Amino acid sequence: MNHRRQAVRGLAAALAALVALTAAGCSSKAKTGDGKVTGAGGVKTGEGVTDKTIALGALTDMTGVYATLGKSVTQAQQLYVKQVNAAGGICGRQLELTVRDHGYDPQKALAAYTELEPKVVGYTQFIGSPFVAAVKSRVDGQDKGLVLPQAWSASLLGSPYIRVLGATYDVETINAVDFLVTEKGLKKGDKLGHVYFEGDYGENALAGSKHAAGKAGLTVVEQKIKPTDNDMSAQVAALKQAGVKAVVISAGPRQAASLVGVAAATGLRVPVVGNNSAFAPQLLGTQAGPALEKMYWFASPSLPIGADTPTAKKLVADYQAAYPGDGLDNGIVAGWTAASVFGEALKKACADKDLTREGVDKALLTMKAHDAGFGMTHDLGDPEAPSSRESVIIQPDKSVPGGMRTVRQPFVSEAAKSYTP
Amino acid sequence: MSETLTRPVVRGRALVYGWSAAGLLLAALPFYLDRFWLQAGLFAMAAALGAIGINLLTGATGQLSMGHAFFLAVGAYGYCAFAGDGSDGLAGLGLPGWLAAVLAVALAGLAGGVFSPIAGRLRGAYLGIATLALIFIGQHVLFNAHDVTGGYNGRAVPPLSLFGLTFDDTELLVAQVPFGAVEKLWYLGLVLLVGGVLFARGVLRGRPGRAMNAIRDHRIAAGVMGIPVARYRAAVFVLSSMYAGLAGVLLALVFQRTVPEYFGMALSLEYLAMIVIGGLGSVAGAVAGGVFVSLLPQLLTRYSDALPLVSAPGTGGIAPGEAARYLYGAAVVAVVLFLPGGLVRLAARTRKTPTSDRPSGEAR
Amino acid sequence: MSTFAEFLINGVSLGSIYALIALGFVVIFRATEVVNFAHASLLLAGGYVTAVLHDTIGFWPALLAGVAGAAVVGAAVEFLVMRRHRGGDHSVLAIVTIGVDILLATELTRRIGTDILALGDPWGDAVVTVGPVTIAETRIAALLAAALLITAFLLAFRYTSWGVAMRAAAENQETAALMGIRLGRVSLGAWAVAGGLAAVAALFLTVFPTPGLERATSLAALKAFPAAILGGLDSTTGALVGGLLVGITESLATGYQGDLTFLGRGIGDVAPYLVMVAVLLIRPAGLFGTKELARV
Repeated sequence: MNHRRQAVRGLAAALAALVALTAAGCSSKAKTGDGKVTGAGGVKTGEGVTDKTIALGALTDMTGVYATLGKSVTQAQQLYVKQVNAAGGICGRQLELTVRDHGYDPQKALAAYTELEPKVVGYTQFIGSPFVAAVKSRVDGQDKGLVLPQAWSASLLGSPYIRVLGATYDVETINAVDFLVTEKGLKKGDKLGHVYFEGDYGENALAGSKHAAGKAGLTVVEQKIKPTDNDMSAQVAALKQAGVKAVVISAGPRQAASLVGVAAATGLRVPVVGNNSAFAPQLLGTQAGPALEKMYWFASPSLPIGADTPTAKKLVADYQAAYPGDGLDNGIVAGWTAASVFGEALKKACADKDLTREGVDKALLTMKAHDAGFGMTHDLGDPEAPSSRESVIIQPDKSVPGGMRTVRQPFVSEAAKSYTP
Repeated sequence: MSETLTRPVVRGRALVYGWSAAGLLLAALPFYLDRFWLQAGLFAMAAALGAIGINLLTGATGQLSMGHAFFLAVGAYGYCAFAGDGSDGLAGLGLPGWLAAVLAVALAGLAGGVFSPIAGRLRGAYLGIATLALIFIGQHVLFNAHDVTGGYNGRAVPPLSLFGLTFDDTELLVAQVPFGAVEKLWYLGLVLLVGGVLFARGVLRGRPGRAMNAIRDHRIAAGVMGIPVARYRAAVFVLSSMYAGLAGVLLALVFQRTVPEYFGMALSLEYLAMIVIGGLGSVAGAVAGGVFVSLLPQLLTRYSDALPLVSAPGTGGIAPGEAARYLYGAAVVAVVLFLPGGLVRLAARTRKTPTSDRPSGEAR
Repeated sequence: MSTFAEFLINGVSLGSIYALIALGFVVIFRATEVVNFAHASLLLAGGYVTAVLHDTIGFWPALLAGVAGAAVVGAAVEFLVMRRHRGGDHSVLAIVTIGVDILLATELTRRIGTDILALGDPWGDAVVTVGPVTIAETRIAALLAAALLITAFLLAFRYTSWGVAMRAAAENQETAALMGIRLGRVSLGAWAVAGGLAAVAALFLTVFPTPGLERATSLAALKAFPAAILGGLDSTTGALVGGLLVGITESLATGYQGDLTFLGRGIGDVAPYLVMVAVLLIRPAGLFGTKELARV
């Protein structure tokens, strides 16, 4: 095999030449300095920041299972960026938001994160908690860019760079159960049905309902479902047989609609509360609409989009002007809140003359009472805790913009205050 | 192999130079490309390995399998379970990385072997849909067996160590270029892929390959001619699962986390699309198809701003993810209708014309 | 006991919908020996047409349009794609239908976007209560419609010339062709019928108790795979029995999941596949499928 020896020899020689070349600095990847420079206005800058622009990333899902959420969140954040830029930008620099749609596919999500990582300061949005978990070690280890995931699972807490905005699902569920006990007549010894998704959304919420049930002397009847289940007849029949006095649902909007519709039709007339992901205004146009308005409430980490605050009113007007024909939902609030938190952190970092990732992370930790204009203040000082434990209880109502009416203003239940995951 | 011997020496030398140039190029890439491209390349290598496996089974032996993703999952999770040290609260044996990888591949083969009695009884469509059951049952287990799989959020993948080199993100300076996980894994991926390709070619070009094709073309005739059909079918199933397991291990190392969501039906369908696009029954076809199908969506997403018809997310119009799906759906249909034999046949056709006329044409 | 009856009736009505889908699947397989993985998209197409049109032309015309639309899509797939590759390897053709499915599903989900479309059916959320058992009217309608369609289909299969042609083609394609049966028409007809049946199934999969038609609706069609297989891919009776079996298994496994926790929660979706594997172990060609006899 003379050829082979020849080939090996050739390969070795070429490799040696290559190493020599890169050693001489021919590869742009070769290490030169730490990439941090002091730019315009005496501000220290790093990845994603030039004298003219600050680059941000959004990893969203606009073609997969969370398309409804992804679209609203992304459009709200694009609107935020547009408005900030129109007002002169931040630190004399224009914001640039690069959106990558991963369609809830792990491979694309990871590819998109990797692609944007060297180019942006941080991410205003990252949908899909499994994917956030997948990059966690890289974020904590070397990347250190701020990530604001659009998921409220307690499993995401604990990293100084990945920050959950608003109450996590467990805390939210505790508050929701408190609402059932204090206002809907649920009492000690009653049974509480809980229909939940497999996965950390549902399981995190279940931890909350169990905690709350323990405090209030209730028994939880569990029903686990999958995101592909759309017909809740069997679950309702099982809950009816168990004799539940109220139901918590930690699933998607479709499951909530089916559950409430079937319960109303088959005579299981008990209050149903959901988590913030278990409602979409589109539902009011379906068969289950009337039943939803009658016996369904859901908890949310912020006031609804139709709230009576100046920010909400302005946001609704601007959003409808920018995206006529698109519905209003709480994804807009979530997207706007995240973008405004990121923007605020950038402003503070600018004041400290440090727009590097470390500077932004540090600035974020000093934000102890950020008000995004939706009735909540967010305390970002403690990475171990959600930025707020407050929830709002909302009732579907066709007559209000966005289809949502606040029935209980921001509150933290006693059980939620003492809760640690 | 006899054709290589009778070929003119000039042609052989040209081939050697061609391959070493290609090899050199691939070996040089980690020094120049950034992480995104290397990662995309690694995904493509893993896809190519998996596609070789399913091509042995479906392409060469004619057994339709929709359960390939399940065996990838066995490899990926198997590696985590063997290599994990239990520090994250999940079951782990704490074995050295290389041993865990070998065992994970063996485990995938074993899973294939356990399923093969069922597979042996079924044919054609029945087998295809029975293997679909593997996906659903497998994912159910992945979501529910929390102690081993970590449930919905999956589990972290312990980095591989080989000869004192750890394939993780601790920086290693090679000629002043910082080598992180993907740069190091790139070489591992290359070695595995080359090994996988050579082995599969050996299988297909030798006696077993002819037996497999005979089984595909006429099972009963093959049996009459003395080929132990049942044993061959079971063996191919095991081998194909081992390739899938190997792809799974490589994917897990690149992902740094295994997520149950990934190993669904869509992934199985993607693998079938790969072998049809690349070329059924051919190793080169599997590699070509794997690279095509796994790179396409990533390229379209990255260049969504610059491409006509494809629009950036949030602006309406066709999103890059959708464009990729249109393209590869259409590719599957078009290849079967207009290019039976897949991409490799296309390559073979364009290459054959000049070389058959002038054998020394390439060595000018 | 009443809960059990409720689960059972729900299961039977769900099963009758699955039977409709599985029947279309079997029809295509009998006529062309191709496993149609694009069936889910045919279903989505039918549902989509109905959902878009019901506001302007009323529910019943819209339903007819949906059935016709899905039949046209099915026939178009046969005419434009499958026919161009006749005589090829059947597993290759099965993979082609995967390609077709990707194309159709991407287009339809892009059109549906993030909406949940109502189909405007006349039953609404009305329920019927018989003693302790409550059941949705839509479920009863589904059961009746499925029974009617399946009976009509079986009669047509037996007595019309189309049915005879199809059975002859399924028996032996070459002989049938020699006897003057136009195979192209038979397979075109099979695809169209399968599309129409899927459109009816789409209606009943998206009315109450489910909220409406949306992008994930087609996933429900996957349940028809185990149904068709465990009944026997080439048996129309098998499709019926398989559909019912899958529906009942799913309904009972979901309903009693509280008592089945040792299998992991959410077993309802997996149970049909477990039953299918068990059946295949005993009868490799399904319950009613014909065992393949081959000559060398």
